[in-house]
Amino acid sequence: MLSMEILDYDFMQRAFVVGMALSLLTAVLGSFIVLKRYAMLPDALSHIALLGVGIGLVTETSPLYMPILVATISGIAIEYLRYKGKLYSDAILSIFLSGALALAIVLINLSDGFNASLFSYLFGSITAVSDDEMWMTVGFTIVALLLLLGSYRKLLYITLDEESAKASGIPVFVLNIMLVVLSAITIALSMRIVGILLIGALMVLPISTALLYRENFFKTIALSVLFSLTSVISGLLISFYLGVSSGAAIVLVALSFFIISLFLNI
Amino acid sequence: MSIIDLRGVEYSIGDQEILKDITLEINEGEYVALLGPNGGGKSTLVRLILGLIKPNGGEIEIFGKSQREFDEWYKIGYVPQNVSLFDNNFPLSVYETVSLGLASQKPWFSMLSPRDRELIEEAMDSASISDLRDKNLSDLSGGQRQRVMIARALVSQPKVLILDEPSTGVDITTQHKFYQFLKKLNDEKSLTIIFITHDLGVIADDVTHVLAVNQNLLFAGTAEEMLNCEAVSEVYGTKAHLIHHHCGGHQC
Repeated sequence: MLSMEILDYDFMQRAFVVGMALSLLTAVLGSFIVLKRYAMLPDALSHIALLGVGIGLVTETSPLYMPILVATISGIAIEYLRYKGKLYSDAILSIFLSGALALAIVLINLSDGFNASLFSYLFGSITAVSDDEMWMTVGFTIVALLLLLGSYRKLLYITLDEESAKASGIPVFVLNIMLVVLSAITIALSMRIVGILLIGALMVLPISTALLYRENFFKTIALSVLFSLTSVISGLLISFYLGVSSGAAIVLVALSFFIISLFLNI
Repeated sequence: MSIIDLRGVEYSIGDQEILKDITLEINEGEYVALLGPNGGGKSTLVRLILGLIKPNGGEIEIFGKSQREFDEWYKIGYVPQNVSLFDNNFPLSVYETVSLGLASQKPWFSMLSPRDRELIEEAMDSASISDLRDKNLSDLSGGQRQRVMIARALVSQPKVLILDEPSTGVDITTQHKFYQFLKKLNDEKSLTIIFITHDLGVIADDVTHVLAVNQNLLFAGTAEEMLNCEAVSEVYGTKAHLIHHHCGGHQC
């Protein structure tokens, strides 16, 4: 039986608080993103967040705020280009992803930043979360969930049928920007615990698993939250006891749920 | 009373003119078929009316207001093309789908009120889909999905219903029942209906007005006036022969 000793460690308390907050948020946001067939967005934004880390290392500014800023501005630019409709959505994401990654690597090279700290950004670390980051994450999660709850029916309409939603007078562009900005900030905040290379999976796997059960939207979101929360808590425990990267452990648990559900529902 | 009024509307993409000098009027209670060849600008015309794209020239008035000032979009119900091709994995029940038709009128943070629930029930009842309420969209046939999308459009109690090729992808029996259903909505709810179709047979029986578009507005009149070889040949740009079958005094 697992001992509650684990909660005596301050860093584990912070990891659990942040992990649970982000698992809720990534599950809900991921549901809208995946159903909009925009599943590459989290990956693109996470690599753009790495560019923020690179700029932070070169300019010696906050490695937390710079990724948030860079991912948010890029998210708005991505959505604007998609809205203009002159380029394919996946092409826009691919261009931003590879461009940001290339620039990030150059900046990290210049700052001589290939070290253990960078490794934790890439794969996540349970010891990486500070008090400030924890409170910021909790505060942001509350605001973001309120915004999503408040606009839930409009967002759902846009997700199902963007053209009809627009024809009915819903401000589609504004709500899409809100969704992308919330995703950008969530991803930038998640990189400490899940890691840049794995956060995309945490946004996509729980909803993909929930979809296999073919329930209505409300139950699908509830299932997605359940899978996400369980994956994050289990992943953090595995990370603590086995000493492996938290991001990898969380994603492997989420992947296990997906594979089991796939066999159950095939 | 005119509810949709277009005057000299132009639309082009780059150098390509899609619609030229479109002037037309649609009045309350009319049942209008919008005809024309592929690429003739029918869907573009509908998208212009719905405000999804902006005209390069001319003026559009809706319910007597300039479209730029019009904000009561819930008065226009819209059913898009190819609803049978909607994502099969989308986890949405019929009830949830119909409730989306109220989304634009609901303020942020508001839940469905008892009145909203009544409206959803009425819309499902009108479209004869009340028994499908808990089914997921993915479990429905093309014809059933079509009715769900109409219920979604009806739930906001619109004055106009616009349908883009509503009979695409459904069999001929379902099509027939579907157009009977539209006519019933037009008669019983005095709902103005505008639908795009390629099927000349559909316009024979019930529609009150026909608009034919191929870049320009080539025809505006009754179905009877439209259904002659000259008019059809002009609209479709090819020589047409019309054969009318009559069964017991009705066209069939």
